[in-house]
Amino acid sequence: MTTTMEAVRLIGPGVDRVDGPLKVTGTAPYPADFGFPDMAHAALAHATVAAGRIRGIESAAAEAAPGVLAVITHRNAPHLTRGPDTPVWRQPPPPLQDDRILFYGQYVGVVVAETAEQATAAARLIEIDYEPAEPLLDLNDPRAEVVTDPWGMDAHRGDVAAGLASADITVDANYSTPDETNNPMGLFATVAAWDGDSLTVHDSTQWPHGVRAALAVAFGVPESGVRVLAPFVGGGFGAALRVWPHVLLTVLAARTAKRPVKLVLTRPEMFTGVGHRTRTVQHIRLGADRSGHLTVLDHEAKNSIAMEDDNYEPVATDSSWAYACPNVDVRDLQARLNIPYPTSMRAPGQAQGNFALESALDELSYATGVDPLELRLRNYAEIQPQLGLPWSSKALRACFEQGAERFGWHARDPRPRSMHDGSWLVGYGMAGVSFFWFQPPCQARASIRADGTAYVRSSATDIGTGTYTVMTQLSAELLGLRLDQVQFSLGDTDMPEGALEGGSGLTAALGTAVRAACRGVIQACLGTVKDDPGSPLRGCRLDEVTVADGHILHSYDPVRSESYADILARHGLDELTADGDSAPPEPQDVGMAPAGAFAARFVEVRVDPDLGLVRVARVVSAIDAGRILNGKTATSQITGGTVGGIGMALLEETVTDPGTGRITNANFGDYLVPVNADIPDLDVLFVGEPGRFNPIGVKGVGEVGLVGMAAAIANAVFHATGRRIRSLPITVDQLL
Amino acid sequence: MRPFEYIQATVPAQAVATVTADPAADYVAGGTTQVDLMLKDGVLSPARLVDVTGLPLQWIAADAAVIRVGATTTMEELAADPTVSARLPFVRESLLRSASVQLRNMATIGGNLLQRTRCRYFRDPAVEACNKRRPGSGCAAVTGPARMHAIMGASPDCIALHASDLAVALVTLDTIVHILGPGGVRSVPLTEFYLEPDGSPDVENVLAHGELITDIEIPLLPEGARQTYLKVRDRTSYEFALASAAVAVVVEDKMIRDARIGLGGVGTIPWRAFDAEHVLRDAPASNESFRAAAEAAVRDPFTVPGTAFKVELAKRTLVRALQTVTGVTQ
Repeated sequence: MTTTMEAVRLIGPGVDRVDGPLKVTGTAPYPADFGFPDMAHAALAHATVAAGRIRGIESAAAEAAPGVLAVITHRNAPHLTRGPDTPVWRQPPPPLQDDRILFYGQYVGVVVAETAEQATAAARLIEIDYEPAEPLLDLNDPRAEVVTDPWGMDAHRGDVAAGLASADITVDANYSTPDETNNPMGLFATVAAWDGDSLTVHDSTQWPHGVRAALAVAFGVPESGVRVLAPFVGGGFGAALRVWPHVLLTVLAARTAKRPVKLVLTRPEMFTGVGHRTRTVQHIRLGADRSGHLTVLDHEAKNSIAMEDDNYEPVATDSSWAYACPNVDVRDLQARLNIPYPTSMRAPGQAQGNFALESALDELSYATGVDPLELRLRNYAEIQPQLGLPWSSKALRACFEQGAERFGWHARDPRPRSMHDGSWLVGYGMAGVSFFWFQPPCQARASIRADGTAYVRSSATDIGTGTYTVMTQLSAELLGLRLDQVQFSLGDTDMPEGALEGGSGLTAALGTAVRAACRGVIQACLGTVKDDPGSPLRGCRLDEVTVADGHILHSYDPVRSESYADILARHGLDELTADGDSAPPEPQDVGMAPAGAFAARFVEVRVDPDLGLVRVARVVSAIDAGRILNGKTATSQITGGTVGGIGMALLEETVTDPGTGRITNANFGDYLVPVNADIPDLDVLFVGEPGRFNPIGVKGVGEVGLVGMAAAIANAVFHATGRRIRSLPITVDQLL
Repeated sequence: MRPFEYIQATVPAQAVATVTADPAADYVAGGTTQVDLMLKDGVLSPARLVDVTGLPLQWIAADAAVIRVGATTTMEELAADPTVSARLPFVRESLLRSASVQLRNMATIGGNLLQRTRCRYFRDPAVEACNKRRPGSGCAAVTGPARMHAIMGASPDCIALHASDLAVALVTLDTIVHILGPGGVRSVPLTEFYLEPDGSPDVENVLAHGELITDIEIPLLPEGARQTYLKVRDRTSYEFALASAAVAVVVEDKMIRDARIGLGGVGTIPWRAFDAEHVLRDAPASNESFRAAAEAAVRDPFTVPGTAFKVELAKRTLVRALQTVTGVTQ
């Protein structure tokens, strides 16, 4: 069979979303749209201290309130077992297990009532008497436990101290980034219905099988009896990767009330209940010779972590392999605080770490007099410096060069405050991005049906990323069918176990599994006709055939061809089905360092020097993400990530009251994300070639679009104003 | 949310009688403040809500000297009014820089003037110390990260900002508020309508319980008055002001003959800067005059660490607005 790699174009056709009509007509069913007959509704009560114990609970008024079916607190909640650890994180502690308060906003009760309004009203009637303790809220609080090298990923090579001592030029600077909140537009919802020990759950999740496993463990029921569905999810940005306490509470409420129960989180609960990007403080020391060749890269980052929880947030780690440098030391620390459970938020760790590293490189460019673009090219990592292996693919140089050309970087006068547009100062800034590689194991199933059409599925999700569309395209290509002959379904644990949708790894993982399943079903067709004297394909092997127009053809003798429909009809089959799975190889086994996406970001800002206003005027993003399955949805991913990066640079900050641990801006009026008027023309170009680390050549585009924007904007602000802002977000207050 | 009774009023006097007679009753118009405070934040829990959008108060009438606006006219309707566009463009600008078009299509002029503060310490009943919500309990915002709070008319008792853009423009125009109460009609200048917190932050204006704004009367500026509303904020749209300036001036022979100045984003009430107007009147239109006016406008601020930057930002915002309307930048 001709592999896709031989015929592949770098950028696949920009097919419209196959689920677009459902979405724009409001008929795509999101979790909150599901219901059951006789369904009740839940609402949550929250702790209003950040540390301490519950001394007493007065819930009689809530229990007596109209419509109330049950009030569950730690006093009457059953034991719930913490969900199983995942490869990258633990599940959060189960709720309502004792009287301790670990953070402000922690759930202290759930009310079940006939209507959502009744549940909400009754939840406000629960009165809690606290024995408060002094919370740990400050990253630098000396009383906070500090976890060192949390994932065993700290990296060292060479001799940093000696390198610094002999460096011609050094940069030594501290950077900080605030807490940010994922803020998907869709409020997370869970709908749970028990039938004996069988459980059906509709949930806002990026990983249905992860929810299934956690609920089975929590409630001590067999996984096989738990079905989790998420055909549509209203965004996630990482917030729907973990199995949150509200999901367990909804399932518990349904079991207690003996009714199906729906819970829809409020917007404030989306700030405390479904994770956030942790704040960081970072220290970077660079050493270089006079021509800008790096001799030392030392990066230490501390971020926050919740009590009795962990969180995968490698901030400094990726600095070890981003550039060629002989003396390197990167360290991540986590301080344990009384904060809501964090989670991955689009490009966890790297979004913050890249801001510090790429800002420091800009500082080095001014210290050495080497142009920021040239500086990065001089320190280009031709091989993966930490593994000492060649990259599976890397077109970062093309990103830099083509992006710079498209942007007009060379027209930049490097002197700060040298460029103007009327009374506005103009600044050009840039940043490089070397994104990490991640690919979880994944399964898929493909069927050819009697009419010659295909049904392909996996329990993976589409959180707005385009999974439905690109997997339909890929399946059609692999099976030689038109798009309208392929049905791709997802988001149901009755399907083969799909990968979590995180780490920019789903397309590679699922695409590879889909490829295996599609090849498997072609193999099944060939197996069906292998002894069939009526088939022109009799005796053909998989590596001898190709597919087109609903037919399998002999590659070198295409008149030997038969349609799927004819094969199934002659053999009296309703369908032929095959499973496929995927798992990434070990780098040492294939002699390649797996490369994620690379990018170069170029930004022009305008700064009003009197009023401190920063406006982004244009952005050019050159992206090497390997093969692009769909130019339109991939561009949309980069564009969306860029908008998130502009938010990170200029607007976003989850503000916590320092005395109480209460988040003070937990709504969309006070927590600022960019609006359309903040976003200029965003120019995206894809460069490079298909990746070699998986057979479909993709590297993932989900997160890289966010990374680098904060540094590129901060560097542009420096160029415009001469002011180096090392603390995000860059706001009016800092620039006055 | 607690259950409440909902009444659609059709006759103003009946609405006033209903609310006056019931201490637990309240009005609702567009609902853009009230619904948040009741349903989402749980700060207000009236037992009875009287909807005034059915009252005959949705009208605009102009003559050569004044424009009168019924209280339930929407923000979007007022912004689109030809007289406002022609004669009071800075009022139009203040409206169009407010909220979003969806909110402006719901929110009324009366409701805008009566909007409650966005202070997140006021808007969360779990916060115990709020003199505005629980008189005498203190102010938790003064020790918090209070970036969006007031510096003028503020004190350790309360730094809650009045966030209306429209009111900042209207307060410069000697707007009159017409009020219907159980005893009949009375009229109050907008400059005397709002009350600084000053020991009783829970009392925000002169309205007695049950009194209803029926309409406002805005004197027009002379032809040729130059106006602008400048709003400075982090995000280009849909955000309250960090600082704003409503400015109207009459300039003759490079001399300022009349000046109206309001500041937003800085006051516990919409801030009329009379002292700055005095500095500018009969002064040359120059940067020196503008800066002197700015210094006079932001005198004796009360700041906390989060709001300290607003002192200089408000001054620069006013200077920029004056430069814009006069064309004097040097």
